[in-house]
Amino acid sequence: MRRSGFGRWVVAIPMCLLALATIYPMVFTLNVAMKSRREYVLDRFSLADHLTAANIADAWNSSGLGRYTFNSVLVTAGSVALLLLLGSMAGYAFSQLTFRGRRWLFLVCLGALMIPFQVIMVPFFRVLGQIHLLDTHVGLILAYTGQFLPFTIFLMTSFYSRIPAEIVEAARVDGSTTLGVYRRIMLPLGRPALLSVGILNALFCWNDVLISLLVMQSEQHRTLMVGVTALRGQYSDNIPLFAGGVLVAALPVIAIYLFFQRQITDGVTAGSTKG
Amino acid sequence: MPTASGSTTRGIRGSRRGWFAAALVPALALVSAACGAAASQTQSGSGASAGGGKLVVWDWHSGDATTKEYYAKAKADFEAKHPGVQVEFVAQPYDQYYTLLGTAIQAGKGPDISMFNGGAQMRDRATSLLPLDDKVGDLKDRLVGWDAFRKDNATYAVPVTLQGFPFYYNKAVYRKAGLDPEKPPKTLAELQTACAAIKKSGNACFNLGNKEGLGIEFFLSGFGPGVFGQAQYDAWLAGKRDWKSPEVKQIFDLWKKTNDEGWYNKGVNSTAMFMDQFTMFSGGKGGNVIGLISDTAHWKSFDEFLGPDLGVYKPPVSNPGQVTSTFLPAEGGIGYGVMKWTKDPALAVDLVKSLASTDAEKSFFEKAGAIAADKTVDTKSVDVKAAGEIVSWLPDSKPLLHTALSAKTLDLMHRLSQQLISGDVTVDQVLTQLAASDK
Amino acid sequence: MAVPAARRTTAARRWHLSEHKIAALVLVTPALLIIVGLRIVPLVLGAQYSLTGDGDRNGLFVGLANYRTLLDDPVFRTALRNVGLLFLALPVAVAVPGLLATFLFLKVPGHRFYRSVYFFPVVLSPVIIGAIFNILLSFDGPLNQLLGKAGIAPVDWLGNSHIAILSVIGVHVWATFGMALVIFMAGFSTLDQSLLDAARCDGATLPQTVWHVVIPELSRTIQFVFVTTMIGMLTGMFGLVYVMTAGGPGGATYLPEFYIWVTQGQMNSPALASAASMVLFVLMLLVGLAQIRLIKRATKEV
Repeated sequence: MRRSGFGRWVVAIPMCLLALATIYPMVFTLNVAMKSRREYVLDRFSLADHLTAANIADAWNSSGLGRYTFNSVLVTAGSVALLLLLGSMAGYAFSQLTFRGRRWLFLVCLGALMIPFQVIMVPFFRVLGQIHLLDTHVGLILAYTGQFLPFTIFLMTSFYSRIPAEIVEAARVDGSTTLGVYRRIMLPLGRPALLSVGILNALFCWNDVLISLLVMQSEQHRTLMVGVTALRGQYSDNIPLFAGGVLVAALPVIAIYLFFQRQITDGVTAGSTKG
Repeated sequence: MPTASGSTTRGIRGSRRGWFAAALVPALALVSAACGAAASQTQSGSGASAGGGKLVVWDWHSGDATTKEYYAKAKADFEAKHPGVQVEFVAQPYDQYYTLLGTAIQAGKGPDISMFNGGAQMRDRATSLLPLDDKVGDLKDRLVGWDAFRKDNATYAVPVTLQGFPFYYNKAVYRKAGLDPEKPPKTLAELQTACAAIKKSGNACFNLGNKEGLGIEFFLSGFGPGVFGQAQYDAWLAGKRDWKSPEVKQIFDLWKKTNDEGWYNKGVNSTAMFMDQFTMFSGGKGGNVIGLISDTAHWKSFDEFLGPDLGVYKPPVSNPGQVTSTFLPAEGGIGYGVMKWTKDPALAVDLVKSLASTDAEKSFFEKAGAIAADKTVDTKSVDVKAAGEIVSWLPDSKPLLHTALSAKTLDLMHRLSQQLISGDVTVDQVLTQLAASDK
Repeated sequence: MAVPAARRTTAARRWHLSEHKIAALVLVTPALLIIVGLRIVPLVLGAQYSLTGDGDRNGLFVGLANYRTLLDDPVFRTALRNVGLLFLALPVAVAVPGLLATFLFLKVPGHRFYRSVYFFPVVLSPVIIGAIFNILLSFDGPLNQLLGKAGIAPVDWLGNSHIAILSVIGVHVWATFGMALVIFMAGFSTLDQSLLDAARCDGATLPQTVWHVVIPELSRTIQFVFVTTMIGMLTGMFGLVYVMTAGGPGGATYLPEFYIWVTQGQMNSPALASAASMVLFVLMLLVGLAQIRLIKRATKEV
């Protein structure tokens, strides 16, 4: 099916163009970041004349992005860990266990999936204030968990429902308790799904601006993406500096993806229990 | 695949109610707790300023490199008077500023002191601010621009900078078009002649960005002094606005006509004002621009790129029948207000006073290019000709036309101005809608 | 099939069930507490809030007045109409990554490279993507320069009221197709290779293979991508609209989320914003319910 010369080109040209379209904006950003502010103002689209890493360094130094990065890492790691734990637990229960109200509760989770954050922004803020978690890392971790848990449960449920009951039954016969099954079977078998869901969630948390802005009121608790966004205030026309910040924020994520991508896709194959 | 797990995954119909109810109990408990919060939404103490010895200030400037000195001076001034009290400036992204503040206000948790733009944004939130009239009497004479922070005869914020809309022009572009760079247009007729020449020479006559709809604000307030007679101008500010008057129609007709005649750079509706419009002007790609005098897009930021080629002029006389000379439209720009829920209002007011101290304002002017609200700031130290001219025009200035409008009417005007440019509405339809909105 | 297991009455079964029940409680409760506390409760509060007034009538019960205001607001109607456009774009947003995943799965030359770069946009936050495309799509920007070289007149991508919403949707698809691609590829990895080999031996063309083998085998993955893409469109385009068009020109690119944000912030009308929120939620729920039928089948039929 991919042997005919014509067919190959029909596929290859659009794919190549699309690859260009995904890379070009990044290259463009890199080019802007390499320009001085004066150079940018005089011509936005020219190639950078004298390459300078000053903007990237400035973005990193002047704006406290180092501290913001620490906050982002802490909050992202905490949220992802909590999301995976709670999501896999609930996913196991919804897919493999029988209990009253299962369907109803699952519907509640699905319903929560349909609530955009803007819809609940103000009352959400009030609830979080009421339990004294505003402007704390725990508060933001809980906020992210609340935001992305329905999606995680949904994914884990559909993944676990593919695990054949024979495996679970076999473990039961061996004397495992229900929770034992979770620990001995669901967690190891769920590894590929947990990895991809974890990476998706990490991206969501890392890239979020809105929730972080609302929850973290003080400067020293800010997350990286908020710090970068602040570089592009309406009152700031220093686009090269902003571009530098964009790169600083995006590079670790791209690196992590390139590092893990084999595991995301290959891992799914290896761990797949389909048969 | 459909095997034994089928029977385990099936829910048991008919008896789920008990479980559902069990899950509802904690939910209801939370609901009732949160409802309590909803009822007592005000005066529940400030979240961000947890400690008594700490003041939290929200703004959108303290992150800028150019305002570092201003904030350092204000902080030092305050700490000298109140040792041991911590001050935290939190720079919020301007894009999200009022939404964040609004959320904080509705939850009754937020900063002790907030920065505001003069006009609608402050007035809409006056109920969350402390009236300051009896506390800032000693500032009344030194600072100007109070009107923009007043609502129903009460003052809610202390002006720190002034904001206004002068016409800046690029002398190099004028020269290229064969115009006299030292003679900026004084009347609309002269401006039209200049624009024709500039357009011929291959540049845009005006740089304009109306993506957010802000272009019309600058246009209305910028051209207003040359169109409205004195009485009409004052009546407009006082809330008696006749949208069907020939003068208002003249401004909106001009907005449409200038666009149709090709005064502007292409793609006005997709050009962002602060990111693109002023970048174009700084980059020498336009002859004129209606700019600001503080914050950004002002004499200092243009001076950086245009140097001695930067010129400035007052609104052109567009209606010679009624107007003989024009003035710079200007008023209080940004100011600081004290939030109602702050624990120690006197302390907060003292910090606001430090933020408006002469010494601090002087560095705001020199380093960040903001025209200070403090009359006593010595402006001689700055060697930019345009700055001197702007300062010399201030005594005759009058408030801006657009800031008298409500946020709702402004938003409608933004959208309609874009539709005028794309040709989807007529000027008469626009004025009918605006009149209905501005009641 | 649905013989209730609970009716079996041997002692062992009874013990087993109660252990089962407790375990289920332990497993589900923490997640539900968070979802109910941080999602459902705020939603209920918002519903209550939407029946109160703004400004002078703050806190007072006004019945459905806010909803009537919404109905009369042409901007809100535009926002709803644009949601309709999103639904029209949905099949494209699903088909593109689906096809790409197929090609990658069939190991077209350079598939490893493509797999890496196609994911790039996903790692950028919408605000950043919006800022980049703002420049790329500006009237004198690179895209129009490229078109100019091909002899095509420049297009005002973000300033033309008919084109702007399409530009924003296009950028959203660009920004998110990598995510759908990864989900599709995860689905492909469960695909039975022998079926494909059989198709190959039978001399099936690529379209035939896709139609007769891939789509039926991956029906669950496709449904899933449909649901997540739709939710992404309805809840994830705020940042793009905000930065790329600010709702303009003339309000042509408003989406409900953006309307809520503006009403809440600039307009300082939180109660009206809450009413708009409820409308958006009900809209999502209706679409969601239609999809839940599919999801239910996906999670139960195994």
